[in-house]
Amino acid sequence: MLGFLKKVSDYTKEAFGAANYLFQGLVVTFDHMRRRPITVQYPYEKLIPSERYRGRIHYEFDKCIACEVCVRVCPINLPVVDWVMNKETKKKELRNYSIDFGVCIFCGNCVEYCPTNCLSMTEEYELAAFDRHSLNFDNVALGRLPTSVTTDPSVQPLRELSYLPQGVMDPHDLPQNAQRAGQLPSEVLELIQQKASTIDSNESIKSSNQIDNNKE
Amino acid sequence: MSMVTPLGTASQVLTTPGIDLELSFNQAMQGLGLSSEVAHLIWLPLPMLLVLVAAVIGVLVTVWLERKISAAAQQRIGPEYAGALGVLQPMADGLKLLVKEDVIPARADGLLFTLGPVLVLVPVILSWLIVPFGQNLLISNVGIGIFLWIALSSIQPIGLLMSGYASNNKYSLLGGLRAAAQSISYEIPLALSVLAIVMMSNSLSTVDIVEQQNGAGLLSWNVWRQPVGFLIFWICALAECERLPFDLPEAEEELVAGYQTEYAGMKFALFYLGSYINLVLSALLVSVLYLGGWGFPIPIEWLASWVGQSIDAPFIQVIAGSIGIVMTVIKAYVLVFIAILLRWTTPRVRIDQLLDLGWKFLLPISLVNLLVTASLKLAFPIAFGG
Repeated sequence: MLGFLKKVSDYTKEAFGAANYLFQGLVVTFDHMRRRPITVQYPYEKLIPSERYRGRIHYEFDKCIACEVCVRVCPINLPVVDWVMNKETKKKELRNYSIDFGVCIFCGNCVEYCPTNCLSMTEEYELAAFDRHSLNFDNVALGRLPTSVTTDPSVQPLRELSYLPQGVMDPHDLPQNAQRAGQLPSEVLELIQQKASTIDSNESIKSSNQIDNNKE
Repeated sequence: MSMVTPLGTASQVLTTPGIDLELSFNQAMQGLGLSSEVAHLIWLPLPMLLVLVAAVIGVLVTVWLERKISAAAQQRIGPEYAGALGVLQPMADGLKLLVKEDVIPARADGLLFTLGPVLVLVPVILSWLIVPFGQNLLISNVGIGIFLWIALSSIQPIGLLMSGYASNNKYSLLGGLRAAAQSISYEIPLALSVLAIVMMSNSLSTVDIVEQQNGAGLLSWNVWRQPVGFLIFWICALAECERLPFDLPEAEEELVAGYQTEYAGMKFALFYLGSYINLVLSALLVSVLYLGGWGFPIPIEWLASWVGQSIDAPFIQVIAGSIGIVMTVIKAYVLVFIAILLRWTTPRVRIDQLLDLGWKFLLPISLVNLLVTASLKLAFPIAFGG
């Protein structure tokens, strides 16, 4: 008899426990409804790619020495380096360079090993095409610079979660001009130059003081 | 039915001098020189059309709510571009389904395949017959009321099984069988919990059930006297509608889309419409059976006497009628909201868990609930409608 009662009470407890869990779940779902959507409304809004983002590869024809290191480090020997040996100058003469981005896996090995830094990774990721052959970029296409998300007037750039300042959870909450975490290289350069000039002027003041002291 | 209807309306006209639109319409038509019978014939389709339109609008609103609330629960935005806040999105969906190709698979049984969705939708729409939005605001105050709904909802699994079998597809067949098993299992606790209510109100008529709840406003709602019945009814209603914790018949991860797999275009739209009309209908019936139907939390009669007006004054009647409609719809939509929230909270149960819950948990509990209600009715006839 007691065993049966215990069974009944256990069963009831279990049922109420299940109901309680269900209610807790409902509370969680309900709480989510007052949170702001995290949707990024692409093409009107775009996330700013992180630094060191491995997008489409940029190539500078004039820097290239046709050494073919990029071909050797590529997992599938993808870059096509079309050069001829100029017998008179005894130098390689580069004619064409191409990478097929329909095949490229964007591992960045070529960029890593290029001895003259003529290869670099861009932030471009919108490589959709109607024909896969149009993804085979020649040196002209490779030399084009992509439109940056932050400079495109038709796009609202948004920071990724890890680039938001402390306490901010939604990139929409940031003011309009706070588009990028950190500084652009140009801004860093400006800062360095400013610092250098202030140090220079300080030193000149110091030296003039010294001169003054010497005079005394 | 034909016997009950005139008697029912006549007695109500005698007892409560509320709004009787039919009578006024009839008199207006007679004023135009038509006989009473012709006027009645002209009147007949009007409430039906009105309820059909109301049901379809209710579905459109529910679909929009479902998409918006789902989006909110998942921190998305949801439909946004079709109309303000995407309110026209369900219309766009419907329009798209309307112009899509109507495919009947080559090896399917054409007749049953076409008949299936119809057989699913028609009983659901027919059940709106008994949903009251006010004292006289229902198509027909059928004496067997709520029983009619239970009877009609048993037709649905036949349609589901039919469409599942006629599709000649293993997923469809499995979905159809599951739908039939689920509907049949959950109909019994559903009927038993309704029976407890019927026992307390001494009537199967939905109007009487609501009337009996509106003595003291919020406090006299059935949900306080039938909390267990309320929960059982709501769980069973969700199972009958194939809403998410119980959406096994169309479980997309295992059965593609269940019995809907082979359907496209307007036939699929019929299933879609049917499931949402059924959801709204279930929510309406929960509000009718347990949440006081058209009743305001404070009885309108009290409010009218506080303002110093007679409840029979024409404009008070109009206001009371409007409040009644609004209250019914609000209660129903709160329940729809809970159903949507449940959809994103609860994981789908397995078929054995589903049948376990139905037969081994809900059925015994609803039986106990019925017995307890019966004994309480004998012990406290004042509180439990003796």
